[in-house]
Amino acid sequence: MSAYSETNLSSGERPREIVLPARTAWPLVLAFGLTLVFTGLVTIAAVSLLGGLLSLFGAVGWFREVLPHERHESVPVREEVIVIATERREVARIQIAPELQRLRFPIEVYPVASGIRGGLAGSVAMAAVAMIYGWISQGSIWYPVNLLGAVVYADALQLTAARLAQFSMLLLLVALTLHLTTSLLVGLLYGTMLPMLPRHPILLGGVIAPLFWSGLVYSVLGLVHPLLNARINWWWFTASQIAFGLVAGLVVIRHTPVRVRQFVPLAMRAGIEATGMPEEKRDKGENR
Amino acid sequence: MVSQSLPQAGAFGEHAQSAPWLERAHEWVVTVDHKRIGLMYITYSLLMLVVGGVEATLMRIQLAVPDAHFVSPQVFNVLFTMHGTTMIFFVTMPILFGFANYLVPLMIGARDMAFPRLNAFSFWMMAFGGLLLYFSFVGGSGLYGAGSAPDVGWWAYAPLTAKAFSRGHSTDYWTLALLVSGIGSIGTAINLVATILCMRCRGMTLGKMPLLPWLNLVMAGMVLAGISPLTAAQLMLCIDRYLGGHFFDTQAGGSAVIWMHFFWIFGHPEVYILVIPAFAFASEIIPVFSRKAIFGYPIMVAASVAIAFISFSVWAHHMFAVGMPSYGNAFFVLTSMLVGVPTGIKIFNWLGTMWGGKIIFATPMLFCIGFVFQFLIGGLTGIMVAAAPFDWQLTDSYFVVAHFHYIIVGAILFTIFAAFYYWYPKITGRMMSETLGKWHFWLFLIGFHLTFDFMHIPGILGMPRRIYTYLPGRGWGIWNMIVTIGVFFQIVAVAIFVVNLIRSYYRGEPASNDPWDAWTLEWSASSPPPAYNFAVLPEVKSRRPLWDLKHPEDPDWKYE
Amino acid sequence: MSAIPAPISSPEREWSLPSRGKTGMLNLILAESAIFTIFVISYIFYLGKSLSGPTPVEILHVPILDTICLLSSSLTIHFAVAALRRGKSKAFLFWWGATLALGLKFIEGTAADWYQMIYRENFSIKTNLFGTTYYSLVGLHASHVTVGLIGLSLVFLLALAGKVKQQHAERCEVFSLYWHFVDAVWVVVFTVVYLVGR
Ligand SMILES: [Cu+2]
Repeated sequence: MSAYSETNLSSGERPREIVLPARTAWPLVLAFGLTLVFTGLVTIAAVSLLGGLLSLFGAVGWFREVLPHERHESVPVREEVIVIATERREVARIQIAPELQRLRFPIEVYPVASGIRGGLAGSVAMAAVAMIYGWISQGSIWYPVNLLGAVVYADALQLTAARLAQFSMLLLLVALTLHLTTSLLVGLLYGTMLPMLPRHPILLGGVIAPLFWSGLVYSVLGLVHPLLNARINWWWFTASQIAFGLVAGLVVIRHTPVRVRQFVPLAMRAGIEATGMPEEKRDKGENR
Repeated sequence: MVSQSLPQAGAFGEHAQSAPWLERAHEWVVTVDHKRIGLMYITYSLLMLVVGGVEATLMRIQLAVPDAHFVSPQVFNVLFTMHGTTMIFFVTMPILFGFANYLVPLMIGARDMAFPRLNAFSFWMMAFGGLLLYFSFVGGSGLYGAGSAPDVGWWAYAPLTAKAFSRGHSTDYWTLALLVSGIGSIGTAINLVATILCMRCRGMTLGKMPLLPWLNLVMAGMVLAGISPLTAAQLMLCIDRYLGGHFFDTQAGGSAVIWMHFFWIFGHPEVYILVIPAFAFASEIIPVFSRKAIFGYPIMVAASVAIAFISFSVWAHHMFAVGMPSYGNAFFVLTSMLVGVPTGIKIFNWLGTMWGGKIIFATPMLFCIGFVFQFLIGGLTGIMVAAAPFDWQLTDSYFVVAHFHYIIVGAILFTIFAAFYYWYPKITGRMMSETLGKWHFWLFLIGFHLTFDFMHIPGILGMPRRIYTYLPGRGWGIWNMIVTIGVFFQIVAVAIFVVNLIRSYYRGEPASNDPWDAWTLEWSASSPPPAYNFAVLPEVKSRRPLWDLKHPEDPDWKYE
Repeated sequence: MSAIPAPISSPEREWSLPSRGKTGMLNLILAESAIFTIFVISYIFYLGKSLSGPTPVEILHVPILDTICLLSSSLTIHFAVAALRRGKSKAFLFWWGATLALGLKFIEGTAADWYQMIYRENFSIKTNLFGTTYYSLVGLHASHVTVGLIGLSLVFLLALAGKVKQQHAERCEVFSLYWHFVDAVWVVVFTVVYLVGR
């Protein structure tokens, strides 16, 4: 018994018996009665009647079970010693910042503002490239804007090429909303991800990721949105994506990363953590 | 009260119990103990799993070759209706409720659920609901062919359920059985929320609660908001069929489409009601077998809550083919894709937990690893069918059937198996056989992939779901044959699992209180836990109270 | 096996959790609200979609007196619980009885209304789509009132027998949450059926 208070979760006195709610059949009777009420609807009314009667009994019985006082029964407490211990005594740690015993990833991050600025700057770059494309190919800077608007507002694709090149307030608003939200989100993603990329963050985030993304859209869009697909020039599409990636990435890494603080409140820590790992010390082939 | 006959050994009772079986059965029937009720849930679901599995097998035999006459079209309709209804409402939900019942009080350091009698009532409602559903095979009016069992599909679209098209009582059996079991589900959900919010042991703030209770809290909240619309819709259907109402009567101005909306407002969250407890199992098992704390605990909680909220705004992605305005389509495409974000975060967190860990490939961990990969694939096909144009092509095809079975079997059932292997020693005091477990895992994995990987292909080739047979020469035959072969692998695997369950109960290696060297409170109770769970209610200071005790020189609470 | 002693000093911090009864009842209310939401949505969706008469304007009489009764019963049950918490069982009996009476008046009003419409004006749940949605929504609410009335009268009888004491205030308060909910739902139903829907 002495080991108990030292190794258990509470130092309280161990009682001799514990009161628990008494067992009872009334909930069962009520449930059966209610089911019979419903069964009567698919068989004969007498079954419902019987069910109603049983339910009444069940409800009254249950009521008396809890009122005026809940019925209890006491259970004797078993004599036992519960020792909480482990054979895995060693704790290994991932060696990244040795001075920190427990560390939360990542150690350094870019401030949130960097992601927002990066996203906005990238959005301007992307829009510029796209508008140049529209000007060269259709003679109108509104052409790509209208196409983007058509992603949501599908009726726009029924329009002729000439109409698509004209300015449209509705499509401009739709396209602007889409473009800005997506750019902001991707910018924030860049702000978070760039410190984690192993090497050449600008190459990976600015060129390779947009290439992958373009490839994905290229392979899927024909299935998902064939009308839109027919109107897209993939070289220019990729160019605008890369423009976004490069500008957003460059803006982000111009900010100084800040060290993640260890003991700030939960919400601010964003909750990404990696505590140490216990090293195994397996005893004699014990294999669990 | 005869106190000496009380179950000292909790759950299954002492192995050498001498009481006559009738008395022991009586003990179980009148119990209000959360552990026993949990086990009754689990046992009931396993029996229903066999029933639902037999129905699936019969369908697969029928579909294995073209132009087969193994079952009649009428029977086939009954089979897919009952298979779907059984698996969702009487297997998966109750088995998850069962584990929640058993584990939540133990993990939050409580002696029972908040409302023990309501708990028993809820179980019996669910159980009798299932019996009422299956009573349709023998009872009621209109015994023809396969009795008057429901045959309108598990979503029972109007106007197929109208009196004119569904004569007799077959649809009523379906409606009433779901009403009855729905009352039980709502009772359990109320109980779980109250337990988790009001019964935690000292020191267990919401930020220090293990993920399993957390995710079950989310699940229970979703049951309250998600099952109730189904109950409401079933009430309306009853009003139509019994009182002559016109809710779904298109001849009187009613709408068949609004039934679809009501059904899927329930139906989509239901998927998450099922999968969030599966996440809970994985989030408890993966850290223990990676020997690391869970990666990104607060993010895991936040992602689960986010999934719960988003999942109530995506239902109409089941209805793209019905014809909605294009902004409606766009809205539901976007929200459906949005679910991918928190679920993706979760997958990364499980991988982050495993990364750099000392992974132990025990059977529970194997099933969890299978879960992570299969859930990813099922999620990706989910994003595919969430794109409206893609869905127009593939809706109601075997591609969709393959997609949601990937989630329900590949993700949910896999973690349920993991949970069995992981908590069996706590429940019975004996270990399950690792050898049989490995056989189970590998055979089931092979069978699963044979069946559900290859099921995508006939879907892409245009095979609609719910057809009872097909003509030769359409190129579907070989794929259907492979799918059916996979079923038999799964049957053998599940048979091994059942043998393992029973054999280990009598002859398994005795388990200590804490056989996996884990960190949550249930492992500080004895195996099996006594009726009162904890002689002295515990007090915790961190998310891993047992780690704190095992490593007093390096406790978690200094850093949380 | 080395059992390292780990004395966890138990700091006598405050440890309070929400009440079980209230939490349970609030959850029930959440589930019930979802059911009512679906019925309200279908009522609004089907407004004006009936293929035949009568229309709401032609047949519905606004139950102003009943509404006042039901809403004021929220106040009386609040006073009853407050009285019980202070141990004044006479005052409790009075306010609780008043709640019961007001609730009965409401359900009597609905019953009279329905009798009038079904038997005198031949307007039933089968008549048209409006009949279906009207009787379902108002009937669903009325059935909740009925359940509440059964509970109210049970407690009232127990109180008459002198069995309801100060320590039962918590339980009575939990029950009163249900009654407040039923009243709040009526505000929604009243607005939708009698104000917007007409
Ligand atoms: Cu869905």
